[in-house]
Parts: sequence; structure tokens; C-alpha cells
Amino acid sequence: MKISTKIKLLSSLIVAAFFIANSQVQAQSDPSGNRRVTSSYAIKNATITTAPGNTIKGATILFKDGLIQAVGTNVNIPVGTDVINGDSLFIYPGFIDGASSAGVSRPADPERPANFDSSNPTDEQAGITPWRSVLDNLDMGNNAISDWRKAGFTIAQAIPDGGMIAGKSAIVIYGSGESTNILAQNTALSARFRGSRGMYPGTPLGVMAKFRDVYKNAELSSTHTRLFASNSGLNRPEINKTYQAMFPVLDKNIPVIFEVSNDLEIRRALRLQKELGFKIVLSGVTEVENVISEIKASNATVLLALTLPEDKTKAKEDATDEYVARTARVKEAYEKALKQAALLEKEGIKFGFTTSGAKTGDMMKNIKIMMDNGLSENAALASLTVNNAQNLGIQKFAGTLEKGKLANMVVMTAPIFTEDSQVKHVIADGYVYDYEVKPKRAANGNGNKNGGNPSGSSVLAGTWEYVSDTPAGSSGGLMKIEGSGSNLKGTITFDDPAGNGTAQADMKDIKLVDGNLSFTFDVSAGGMDLNVDVKGDITDDKFTGRMSLGNFGSFPLNATKKPNNSNF
Amino acid sequence: MKKLNSIIAAFLVIVWMPTMGQTQKGSVLIKNATVLTVTQGTLEDTDILVENGIIKRIGKGLSANNVTTIDAKGKYVMPGIIDAHSHVALDAVNEATAPITSEVQMADVVDPYDIGLYRALAGGVTISHAMHGSANAIGGQNITLKHRYGTFDPEDLFMKEAPRTIKFALGENPTRVHGRGKNIQPRTRMGVEAVIRNGFNEALQYKKTWETYNSALKQKGATPIPPKYDERLQTLVDILDGKVIIHCHSYRADEIYALINTCRDFGITNIVFSHVNEGFKVAPELAEYTMGASVFADWWAYKFEVYYSTAYNAAILTENNVITSINSDSGELIRHLYHEAAKTQRYGQLSDDQALALITINPAKQLGISDKVGSIEEGKQADLVIFEGHPLSVYAIPQMTFVDGVKYFDINDDQDDMRLRVSANETVEPIFLKEHDHNCMHGVDFFFNNFGRSLFQHSH
Repeated sequence: MKISTKIKLLSSLIVAAFFIANSQVQAQSDPSGNRRVTSSYAIKNATITTAPGNTIKGATILFKDGLIQAVGTNVNIPVGTDVINGDSLFIYPGFIDGASSAGVSRPADPERPANFDSSNPTDEQAGITPWRSVLDNLDMGNNAISDWRKAGFTIAQAIPDGGMIAGKSAIVIYGSGESTNILAQNTALSARFRGSRGMYPGTPLGVMAKFRDVYKNAELSSTHTRLFASNSGLNRPEINKTYQAMFPVLDKNIPVIFEVSNDLEIRRALRLQKELGFKIVLSGVTEVENVISEIKASNATVLLALTLPEDKTKAKEDATDEYVARTARVKEAYEKALKQAALLEKEGIKFGFTTSGAKTGDMMKNIKIMMDNGLSENAALASLTVNNAQNLGIQKFAGTLEKGKLANMVVMTAPIFTEDSQVKHVIADGYVYDYEVKPKRAANGNGNKNGGNPSGSSVLAGTWEYVSDTPAGSSGGLMKIEGSGSNLKGTITFDDPAGNGTAQADMKDIKLVDGNLSFTFDVSAGGMDLNVDVKGDITDDKFTGRMSLGNFGSFPLNATKKPNNSNF
Repeated sequence: MKKLNSIIAAFLVIVWMPTMGQTQKGSVLIKNATVLTVTQGTLEDTDILVENGIIKRIGKGLSANNVTTIDAKGKYVMPGIIDAHSHVALDAVNEATAPITSEVQMADVVDPYDIGLYRALAGGVTISHAMHGSANAIGGQNITLKHRYGTFDPEDLFMKEAPRTIKFALGENPTRVHGRGKNIQPRTRMGVEAVIRNGFNEALQYKKTWETYNSALKQKGATPIPPKYDERLQTLVDILDGKVIIHCHSYRADEIYALINTCRDFGITNIVFSHVNEGFKVAPELAEYTMGASVFADWWAYKFEVYYSTAYNAAILTENNVITSINSDSGELIRHLYHEAAKTQRYGQLSDDQALALITINPAKQLGISDKVGSIEEGKQADLVIFEGHPLSVYAIPQMTFVDGVKYFDINDDQDDMRLRVSANETVEPIFLKEHDHNCMHGVDFFFNNFGRSLFQHSH
């Protein structure tokens, strides 16, 4: 009897404890109503592509707490599972972005001291900050991230913004805001051929030399540190955070991810890699046909840009013979650009895609164009999924739809890469995101991709921070824009051509049509007035364009809108 | 008709296929030409047999099997023209951010797609010395290029046999960029000299530090600590050790003489002065202590330090036994350096061989490659130009240009569009009205200050 009482007592204690524990959870109210009822879902009777080339019809996928429990035609759905009817739906592994700038802001440049020596800046001033982590400047709540998730991306390697060696990347999952969403940090070292403004190194010449310098001295610093640790009577090593942050690269634990804009930059990155011997990832690759053998020889990981050039030679009704002859090679160059993905596939390079520099609206369109030009459907899907899982070293838990992998998937209304296919759900980290499926668009559909900003111009008002890149380095300033519609006003600041400091000018003819922004401003230089013409595209809070300076050519000018406090 | 035209256009594109992969070497037999050897006089009605990129034989009545034969009767053959001071085919020219940037390498930024290479070939130029700009007292390491236009790989253009060279600059450019522009040394000509001397002295210390370390490494059981690596100082050490030839941008006699003295103090003999408008005032010193002077035929007065100039400069230097060359420093002048050389016959009455040497064997000597190129001799590399008319005549027109025996230019096969790379983004590529692309101060004022302090100033 005593024993039984004890048991009763024990069990009631357990029950009580359970209630207390449970009530603590339930005591928090959920006024938002956002908390999900269950973390267990099943999508029933769908067409599931578990990996490129492997599709099961009439299949069910079951996942719980962010983990896939079962995939197949014979899956038992337990009680308490939220069942989504998958009839006529197509499920693919969630996309993985090899290199992303979504949600990443550029840390502010340090103040220059009064006696600043531009020939010998500190590493931080010169854009050499390998110790930085992108996580310190990554806003997971940023619209750009939800836009890419809506396009099907569930995992991304976030690349830090900054100078020639900006810092370390991290792999994040596009899941719920309640998690840190970090899968791995310090996964690669970000580098680019970007000189620093008005100081050493200012051009690709200096950047190449400085990269060698940092690398070789990091090696020597590492040697010194090792000697000091195992011997006595030696001078202490100088702890230098730049060199220390290079050690994982020297040890080949992480690769250098080099942002490259053309084949010459690919060659420059590979030249450094050949000399110094680090592991390399080429990101934003576009022109590969002239460097394909060098890429293969270097064993570089290739992240292809999701951007494609526009067809500037589109058949014109009134095209003269002269026009056709003159633009024949432009057309040829355009057609060649479309074939780069297919060429990589043919050469057996398992490339992945990077969204960096791309627009969500163009992504599927561009992949379809690449497929029209020879890229196979399996390779296209692989470059969005398994290839990048492999490239990022996360293939153990991501990239395919199998039991035991993370519940990341894209649910579409028609087979992927077909004309009518739309994203209906994205499941990221086991969280289900629903998207409105639009009826088939009318022929003259004026689809608005900007979501909550139908007029577009309200997106514009605010303060924009711009950077313009020239072969000799980058320069920048602020654009302040106010008003809306046809009544837009603004000012722009820039480095004063008459000396040090900044100058300001009024922005003229500000026009925003279908996401294309254009304006002009005047600069007086050496008694001459120079008219600067800026044109480009706006997506959300990013402006990507070019400024043309009369006969001097045109240069990239990119801007990011500073967060508007009233939004918070 | 429309269709036919585009087919023709497409055909033209396909016919001219760029050569790919390994550096090509060609074989060719040029018959019955007037051969201007430059070093061994003029040979009338003579044949040149090229095998595998090398001049095999020069003589009369030569024959060869399975080799393209070109009848050059009534035409002139001269050695490929060499430009000792050029900025063609470079993506960046000036790392104008520090007074000494000897660590930067022009080899890193060679652009094999630059149409300027083809234009140079059309003017008979087979080798150019792709230099850093003149913004810094000690600029970057240059690269000697062979104009093997058609390759996509910058390294195919490198003349790998050529010794290392480096750019120095005196006078107004470095003082303006650093002193006036950024308020750091050098602000005056004295400052330029101090920057160079300090650089060499630091390099001596640097060399010693590494020598001490390396000898300590050899001792058994020793654990010496490695010093810091500095490519900037290491390059200066290599100059002091005679491994690198200095090519120094300069105008005034005083600064030229001052640098000669600096070099003598440090035991440096491998130095060539470039531009050297006042070189005629220090010709004996240039002859005794340097590898010569590379001048303009008659450019002058584009800034204050270039006012005291004469078109007789090249002739005076030549008559004083200075190894003298005429360079372009320009993507335009490079197309007719033979005219520039001919000006010395109007201003100075130089002989044909003396005038031709200014653009062939003499620049070859200044680049340290005269044992391989610069004249038509058996055993030398077959860089050759066939001219209609004597190259020093105003009526001269280059017909064919060969590099390593491979024909890269032929006036009869000179398509309208010789670009290697065409942008998919521009139906009309921007044309720059001002030839500001290929000169010494490229990138400095305009790019550096972004919106240009002196956009419209001349800038050599």
C-alpha cells in the first residue's frame, strides 16, 4: 500500500510538474495570433522531386519541427498533423543561394583623422577587415530576404559588404524570426577587386599587391606564433587581428570567395590563387567561355550570376541593313552570354547560382532563357539545390528531400521552369509560408512586384547612400529625395572636385517609371560644367545603375536606401 | 538582301578566329625585299626565312618547303617597331595613392582585348613596354608585351624573356599628386629625391634583416623569427641588386642629373630616362652613366616643366652616343612611330639607320631584349614589318606585321571590326573623343578625384 501511495504521489508530482511547466508556456498570451498550432505538417498527394531527376507522383511528404520525417507514396500521417492537400502541386527541394547580399548592409567607413595619411591607411580604413562577420550587419527581417524566400530560396550564404577583404560569410536559413537562423558562421572569406576611396590601395593594381602582402604576412605571423608557442626565449609575436583572421584561409579550412565581374577578373583571382594556394570560390561569374580550362585546372567552385544582359538588338521592324550588320556581333555576344550556364554543364562543372546582383523578378525568366540555350532542367535544378549544398558543405542536411534532412522546400502550381508555374508555398526550416497565386496574367499584365508600394515613388523618398565605382576606386555620397509622383525633388553629395571635402548639387529631372529611376546633376570642375546623367533600376531599397559623364564614359553607381525610422 | 548582309557579317566574324592557347610561332619565307636590318645595313633584293618564330636565314635565292612564301618585291622589310613607353592594353595605369608603389605589377592588369594592340600592329609595332603611370616617385613594375593580338590570356602577351623593369617619375606629376593633392611628401623636386633615397636606404636595411634571418635559419637548432615581408622594399632591393631596369619619367636637366647622382651613390646603372625633354643639356652624362633616353620627337609645352624643348633632342642625344629611342606614350602616336623617327631626319639630319634604330634596336637595348629582337639578324625572333615605301618616307604604309613569324596584321585582310570582345550591352560602344586612355597620368586626376579636377589638361 505504501508503495502504491508513493507511486501515486510521485505520479501526481510529475503531473503537477508537467502542468506547471506547460502552463508557463501557455501563460504567455499570443496576441498576434501568429504562433502556429502545430509544427507537424504533411503535404499529401503531390508530385515530389526529391532531387534533380528523381520525381515521385502521388507522394506525401511529412515533416515535423523542421525535419523531414518521411517522403513517399506510403506515408502514415499521425494525428495532430496539419495536412495540406497537394493535389496538382509540385514540390522541390528549397533553393540554396551560394552567395547572397540580401539583408546585408555595409558597415560605415571609419572617420578619417585630421592628419590622415592616404598612402598608409589602417587596414580598416583601407577596407581590409577579415575579422568582421557578416552576421553583425545582417538583418534577417529585411524585405530582400522575404523576397528571395518568396522566389524559393530557403538557405543562403550571406556575404559581407565592404572593401577588398570585407570579412567572413555565414550560412543562414530563411526561417522564422524566433530563431537566429544561423546554420554556420565564418564559412568563407569575402574578397573583391574593390579599391578604397582616395587611399591605398585604390585600383586593381594596388588590391592585387595588397592581397599578396596580407596573405604572405599572415603566413609569417602564423609561423612566428607557432615558434613562440613551442620555444622559449623568443620575441613575442605581435597579435594582429587582420593576420589572425586570415589563419583559417591559410590552413585551407575555409575558401576565399572572390567576387568577379568578367573573365579578366576571374583570371586575376586565379592568378592570386595559383601563387598563394588558397581554396577559391568565384562568385558572380558571367563570362566563362574564354577561361574555362583555367577554371577547371584551378578546381575553383563556380557561382554563376543569375543576371543576363538585355537583348539590345531585338529585331526592329525598320532595321536597316547597316544596323543589322553593325549589331551582328552585339547579337552574337548576347547569345553567347545566354549559353554560359550550358557550357559549364557541358564541361562538367557543378556550378551553383548566386543571387548577388540579381533581381527576384528576373530569376525564373533568366533560368528559362539559359535552359532555352542548352542548360538541362536537371542541371538548372541542381544549381539551385544539391550543387550549392555541396559547395557550402551542407549536403548532409540540405539540398534534397529525404528523411532526416531539413524541411526546406518549394511548392509550385505547375512543374518548375514551365510557363505557368508559380510558387504557392515555401517551407523554410519547417515553417510554411503561403503565397497568393495569381490567375494567369493577362497579356498586357502590369504586374507590380513592389508589393506594398503600388505607386513606386513612395519607395523613393528618403536618404540613399550611393557608391560609384571607377577603375581607380570608389567614391560616394548621399542622395536625399522627397516628394512623390511627378513632384520629386532631391539633392546629391559628392567628393568636391575642387579639393577635399564634399560638394552638393540639386538632382534634376528625377523620373521614376516602372522601377527605372533617372536623374541628372551638374558638377563644375576646373571652370567647366559637367553634366552627370544617372540611370538605373530600383528594387525595394536598392538602386543599381550607371552614371555617365559625357565623353568620359559611364561607371556603375549603386545605392542603398537608409532605413526610414518611421517604419519601425 | 538584308539576310545576305547579315550572313556576310557573320561570315566575317567567323573567318577571323583568334588564335588560342599556347603562344604561337610561325614560319614564313619573305622573298625579294629591301631588308633594313638596322644593325647590318640595307640588303637589296634579299630573302628572309623564318622557321618556328626565329629568323633562320637571310640571303638571296632562299627556298623552303611547306612554308608560306610572300613576294615582297619593291617593298621594304624592317624589324618590328618597339615602343619603350606605352600604356596600351592596361586596365589600370596609376596606383596613385602612395609615393612609392614598387609592389604593384602591371602584369596583373593587362587587358588582351584592347583594340589598341591591333592599332599598334597596324603601325608596325610588335613590342610595347606597358608601364605604370607617372603619379608616383617610384611607380609599379612594368611588363614588356609582344603584340600577339587574338589571345584571351594576358600571359600570352608577356615577353617572358624580358628582364623586369620599373617606373620612376620626377617633377610635376608626383609633386602635384602627392604634395599638392594630398599634402604628403613629395611636394617639391627635393622631396622626390628624398623619397627615392629614403626608399633605397630602407631597402638596404630590409635586405639586411632578411639576410640575417636566412643565415640564422641555416644554423642547426636555431629558431629565428621571420621578419615582416614587404614586396615594396623587396623590389627596391632587386633594383639595387641590378635585377630591375628603371625607366624614369623626367623632363628637366637638373632632376635628371640629380637622379643620375642618386643612382651612382647606390651603385645603380640600369636606368633609362623617359621623355627627357631637356636631355640635350645633360647628353654626356646620360651617355656615360645610363642605358639611355627615350624621347618624344617633338611634343612640348603641355605644362610648365616641358617648355624648354627642342625637336633636335633625339639627334643631339644620338650624336652624343646616348642610346636614344622615340616612344609614343599614347594609343594614337603608337600607330605611326616610323613618322616620329623620320622627324629626326628633318631636325638633325640623322641617317636612315640612326633614325630607324630609334624605334628598333635602341628601345630593345633599353628594355634589355636587344639580343632577341630589334634588328633583322639570323637567330633573332622574327618580329618583322613589311612596308610599302621606305618606312621613313611620309608615304610609307605598313602592309604586314609579324610577331614570332606569325602574321597579326595584313592590310589586305583588315576587317572593319577587329575587336576580340564585343559588349552585349552596347549596340554602339562609347567613343572617347579625347585620347586620354593611354597616357602617363591616366586615371589620376579624373578618377582619383572622381569628378575631375583637371579634366581638360594635357597629362603626360
